[in-house]
Amino acid sequence: MIKIDNLSIHLPDFAVRDVSLSVAPGEFFILLGPTGAGKSLILEALAGLAPITQGTLHLNGTEITHLPPEKRHLAIVYQDGALFPHLTVKENIAFGLRYQNKKADNARQTVHDLMDRLGITRLKTRKPPTLSGGEKQRTALARALAVKPDVLLLDEPLSALDPATRSEISTLLKTLHRDEAMTCLMVTHDFDEARYLGQSMAVIRDGRIEQSGPVQTLFHHPETPFVARFLKATL
Amino acid sequence: MVSASVLVALMILLPLVQMITGPTLANLAEALKDPDVRGAIGLSLATSFGAAAICLVFGTPFAYLLARKHFPGKHLVESIVDLPIMIPHPVIGIAFLGIAGKGHVIGDLMHGLGIRIMGTTTGIVAVLTFVGLPFFIGSAVSGFKKVPQRLENVARSLGASFPQTFLRVTLPLCWRSILVGFIMSAARALSEFGAVIIVAYHPMTAPVMVYERFTAYGLSYSQPVAFWLIAASLLLFVALRVLIQRGETPE
Repeated sequence: MIKIDNLSIHLPDFAVRDVSLSVAPGEFFILLGPTGAGKSLILEALAGLAPITQGTLHLNGTEITHLPPEKRHLAIVYQDGALFPHLTVKENIAFGLRYQNKKADNARQTVHDLMDRLGITRLKTRKPPTLSGGEKQRTALARALAVKPDVLLLDEPLSALDPATRSEISTLLKTLHRDEAMTCLMVTHDFDEARYLGQSMAVIRDGRIEQSGPVQTLFHHPETPFVARFLKATL
Repeated sequence: MVSASVLVALMILLPLVQMITGPTLANLAEALKDPDVRGAIGLSLATSFGAAAICLVFGTPFAYLLARKHFPGKHLVESIVDLPIMIPHPVIGIAFLGIAGKGHVIGDLMHGLGIRIMGTTTGIVAVLTFVGLPFFIGSAVSGFKKVPQRLENVARSLGASFPQTFLRVTLPLCWRSILVGFIMSAARALSEFGAVIIVAYHPMTAPVMVYERFTAYGLSYSQPVAFWLIAASLLLFVALRVLIQRGETPE
């Protein structure tokens, strides 16, 4: 379970203020909002990749506010995949396994299984610059899943894809979430993605939470004009 | 436009061609047999690469900081790093002697530790490091900036510590810029004369020897030494061009 309490982040030109939210174990939680609302900053703060001014972060009852990113067991997947361009697909997926003290045979098997499951075995010796958008995102997901994170952090993972690939990867995300029962926290500005994938969500505007709760509640009972307008619902 | 370009090319090439074709082969061979010439070129190479190595060790973390972090006064720090390019080099030599002299806190400390600047290899390396640093840091900062921070973020979230991320992600993607910076700072140090002659006339580096032979014996006597100095510089220049061109080739 993720618990964010009174999170504030002050940057020279932007601030996240007093954000509090909870994500239940196994839940697919969406941070929804327009571009520049501070969604990705909240995600990176949770991963230990952005400086926190105030507030506390808990994961499964343990405070992680001051833990370095590599100790948090949260794997992040970015919009463009952020694959390591000097490594092959197989080496990208195996990257995090080196830090888990896994035996070489087990690590090889994990990589093999994930490539098989995500349909990228034929790409194993290819390097990222030669991959399509969908192939990059599949590789990035496999790389994140390889370390069996407590929470999968997804930063606009579908927004750089063409409509057909977007649909394919969102279906894959839904399947993976269902099969793995993994807690997922995804940032998006697309309410269709939120409605399709999310179970709960928070709508963010200018670094603050406008409203949070179950996805259907927000779509049917928006509490502010902004949420209504953004979700194309009516008050 | 074409004539201006030809003029510029000629201005660069003609003196170099004259320097290369001027001395006879016999003069060049004789110069190379001269232990003083070999010693001066060897000292120039050793001190230049020594200075470049210091730039590499201390400049790399500093360049990373400048590329990745935002802090108050960052622009001022960046300007200070570029200062050695603008300062007349004899002034640098005099400044170093001032710092290292008796009566100065640092000078007294150095004397206490047995470190001398005046007339020593240490002094030569110190001023060469000073003149080479802006070239190393400029290239390294540019290399680090080309590595998206998201790649480092992903590596950290996958369990790699900062040093592991630096070694497995950042360095493999920007080593070429760091090596280019290393060669540029070494090449700059190899050609340094103004600061070195103030700090150490002896032991004699190759540029100081060219000057000494020119003033004492004339042009023809200094040319063979200059030829071998140019040859060493050209080797570095070719290595630099090859590295830069390979870096520009898409995967």
